[in-house]
Amino acid sequence: MSADVRVRHLVKHYEVADREGGLRASLRSVVRRRHRSVRAVDDITFDVEPGEIVGFLGPNGAGKTTALKLLSGLLHPTAGEATVLDFTPWERRREFLSQITLIMGQRQQLYWDLPALDTFLVNKAVFGLEDAAYREAVDLLVGLLELEEILTKPVRQLSLGERMKAELAAGLLHRPRVLFLDEPTIGLDVTMQQRIRDFVTRYNATTGATILLTSHYMADVKALAERVIVIDHGKLLYDGPLTGLIDRYAPHKTITLHLERPVDRADVAAYGEVVSADDVQVSVRTDKAQAASVTARMLAELPVADLSVEDPPLEYVIDQVFHRRAS
Amino acid sequence: MIGRLAQIAGAYFRSALQEEFAYRGDLFGNVIRSVLNLGTAIGGVVVIFSHTETLGGWTLGQTLSLLGIFVFVNGFVAMFMSPSLNRVVEEVREGTFDYVLMKPVPALFLASARRFAVWHVSDIVLGAIVLGVALAGLDVRASGWGVLLFVALLACGVTIVYAIWLALTTLVFWFVRVANVTMIFNLFFQTGRYPIEVYPFWLRQLLTFVFPVAFVTTVPAQAVTGRDPSWLVWVAPVIAVVALLAATRFWRFGLSRYTSASS
Repeated sequence: MSADVRVRHLVKHYEVADREGGLRASLRSVVRRRHRSVRAVDDITFDVEPGEIVGFLGPNGAGKTTALKLLSGLLHPTAGEATVLDFTPWERRREFLSQITLIMGQRQQLYWDLPALDTFLVNKAVFGLEDAAYREAVDLLVGLLELEEILTKPVRQLSLGERMKAELAAGLLHRPRVLFLDEPTIGLDVTMQQRIRDFVTRYNATTGATILLTSHYMADVKALAERVIVIDHGKLLYDGPLTGLIDRYAPHKTITLHLERPVDRADVAAYGEVVSADDVQVSVRTDKAQAASVTARMLAELPVADLSVEDPPLEYVIDQVFHRRAS
Repeated sequence: MIGRLAQIAGAYFRSALQEEFAYRGDLFGNVIRSVLNLGTAIGGVVVIFSHTETLGGWTLGQTLSLLGIFVFVNGFVAMFMSPSLNRVVEEVREGTFDYVLMKPVPALFLASARRFAVWHVSDIVLGAIVLGVALAGLDVRASGWGVLLFVALLACGVTIVYAIWLALTTLVFWFVRVANVTMIFNLFFQTGRYPIEVYPFWLRQLLTFVFPVAFVTTVPAQAVTGRDPSWLVWVAPVIAVVALLAATRFWRFGLSRYTSASS
């Protein structure tokens, strides 16, 4: 079985008009534009196996969206190769486009003034779906996304979260085998983010579809992707399990103590780096390897009322990744 | 393939109908606008002919026939062409054009046959009525061959308009904001209200060879009103085919630029 997504030394540069602020620079740019080449994707290589969920992580402008657009055939690369389901994406063959989907959290394809169901019918015709296949897909999606109430209301009357659910459904009617999800939870409240996440997991389990997603929200990646690919400045910094990322870039544990009475801060600092401290609650960061012995010593030597040991937050891990690269 | 595309266009057309029904007020607005537009246009022609017998060699009846053709084509373009092509301009700016490219259907087809401004049917009907009434007053005998020629020339004219629109729309891949281009198009297109014989020599050349509005109204009107068909009758299909080929090529070129130059 070959990989669903195969990427080799993929490179994408593009030109942007570059100018300083101010009216004078604006005027000059009308006549003569200076262009600057941006390396949005800079020599990345990876494979994704059928049924995998892979999360792309990286700061704004890291090249995540460009990578997804290359793989979904919207952009021609500057160099390198990629295949998705054995097709070269940017040839944009009909058979290829019928088997993938790109859903962008910030851009909508639904008709604004019509119920989502009408967009569904258009997509049914566009993808040439048989009645039976269409009904089956709608039933599945209505079930997984709890859409009953939503589909018959004009899209403009839906909440942001409801609209996103309908967008997901519209993009999945043709039962694509590979899903590219670009920031599918952006702007949604925590509950709705959770719902979308649950949906992605269940959709993956039900259909076996391969899913590549980007997100700003660490919770998304944590909940969805066992494997993460970290990109910054177009370069691939890490590709592997999420746990490995933590081990490699932030091999710490955070021990949080509730104390029975305040203690001297210096007494706590002896156990590790104090992350936060108030009267009776103190957080200390220690090496992962020593977490157990440090915990034991704390319990013996300090007036501990309660104690918890946690992995560092993913935000901190990512921060470490980019920080280390910068230094 | 044709059947599939027809089905897709049908689905889009149904959505367009439903969208328009969501704003019923547009119906009345459009009918009133059509009638007013037509009224002032006919009024203008009648005022001109109160001072003269002929206009560039055209009689009142012939000029009104031409006006009918203009209103008809104008309505046709407004109903079937500009909504889809204008949508492309919006979508490229908003970034949702990506969804068009993700569909397993040729992008040119989706760019051209997705949106319909249904209410412009009022212009089409009114244009046909004006043409019919004017022709009845002219007492021209319509042969089968004449009707066929007229329809063929009209098709050439509409094809030429489509090619120009498409080419202008394609500029969006470079300039992103092309609203002014639409204005320039309309400026030229409006010259089609009158036979090109009324314009000075240089403008006539411009409207025949560079921005061939002549083929949209003047040439079909010549054929249908029994005026001597000029040699332009035979040039019309050539220009239509060349313009269409050039415009679609330009579109492909623009699209390839879009997919290679953006991020």
